[in-house]
Amino acid sequence: MITIISDDSKNNFMDTIKESIKKTTKKIVVFKANDLNVEPCLACASCGGKTYGRCILEDDMQKILPQIVRSEKMILVSPIVYGGVSFHIKKIMDRISSVGDPRYYMKNGELVKKMRIPDLKYYMVGIKENLTFEEELLFIKLHEENINIMSVDGKAFIVEKKLDNSIIEEILKEIIYD
Amino acid sequence: MTNENILLVCVSPRRKGTSAMLLERIKNSIGGEIVFLNQKGSFEELIKKMQMAKTIVISGPTYINSYPARLFELLEKEVPNHKFSNQKLYGIINGGMPYIHTHEHGLFYLKLFAKENSFSWMGGFVLGGGAILDGQPLEKHLNHRKVVPLFDQFISCIGKGVFAPKELYEKGEVAIPKCITYVLSKALTSKVVKNLKKYDHNPSDLIYYLKELDSKN
Repeated sequence: MITIISDDSKNNFMDTIKESIKKTTKKIVVFKANDLNVEPCLACASCGGKTYGRCILEDDMQKILPQIVRSEKMILVSPIVYGGVSFHIKKIMDRISSVGDPRYYMKNGELVKKMRIPDLKYYMVGIKENLTFEEELLFIKLHEENINIMSVDGKAFIVEKKLDNSIIEEILKEIIYD
Repeated sequence: MTNENILLVCVSPRRKGTSAMLLERIKNSIGGEIVFLNQKGSFEELIKKMQMAKTIVISGPTYINSYPARLFELLEKEVPNHKFSNQKLYGIINGGMPYIHTHEHGLFYLKLFAKENSFSWMGGFVLGGGAILDGQPLEKHLNHRKVVPLFDQFISCIGKGVFAPKELYEKGEVAIPKCITYVLSKALTSKVVKNLKKYDHNPSDLIYYLKELDSKN
């Protein structure tokens, strides 16, 4: 199963995403991040202690998290803002900690974490017109740091909006059949 | 002594954590007003204070390798709707992992934000191994002998209104040998497991959200 979370507030790729996934037999769940009610993480540490594995904030993350833990792949589709993801997407990313493994591991001589769904593949698709190289590298760096500390595989894709929707379709195809 | 020209913005939801402590340290040294970014509601009051300040320092924790989403919301959704006048902007980001690369994205994000929004980026400070402090003074940092004077130099840059070079925080990073890292991973894990056991949990418990849907079936 694949979970796609897309912030559609600056682009209109939801239709393209839905058309693309119709062409595959894989089970795919799609969320529109900018339509969801997701509160900021309050760093209460309940998910790593008292209510291990469960976030206590009652909002739309309670719909998303059950899908993520059943997924082999998670795709975040976001406008690129200041070299990062949009706030809609970041709110969701911050709350995914609740399905992170709270233990510590060592990888390449450094402390890292893992996900409780350790085989999860984590993808980002960043979208911006007239993207500078500096900003593109920064977006990719965010994804790289994410997959490093989460100890998962994945890839970041960049879409310069001037190109048409077929690029999104190509990217989704590549991810789905990766 | 308050210097109303310096606005110290804490973007952590915790009022007494490391992010706030670092701003207190700045305030005790060169003055300034500490404000906390609210987690919901209007940004109106904060925007007004930002417009009136000459220097803004943002201090926050690392969530998933960058600043928390609520700061992203302020900078993406709200700031572009208001006029600013090249205020000086400094950033501090702190996290548990003792590696600069884990947290540094936050500062680069602020730098690009500044470029696009009429702020003057003046550099920042990355503090690794900070989460353990949990609000205790910087003198309790495991690498305090290096980090304290370096952070104080950073404060001095803010006070003088000059650019704070990345060398200041880079020098505070300590290269941890593999064997120590290994021991750390075991020790930290043991602490985590003890804490879970306190609440009758085990790391290998069935994932809550897997249980949840199944029981609905």
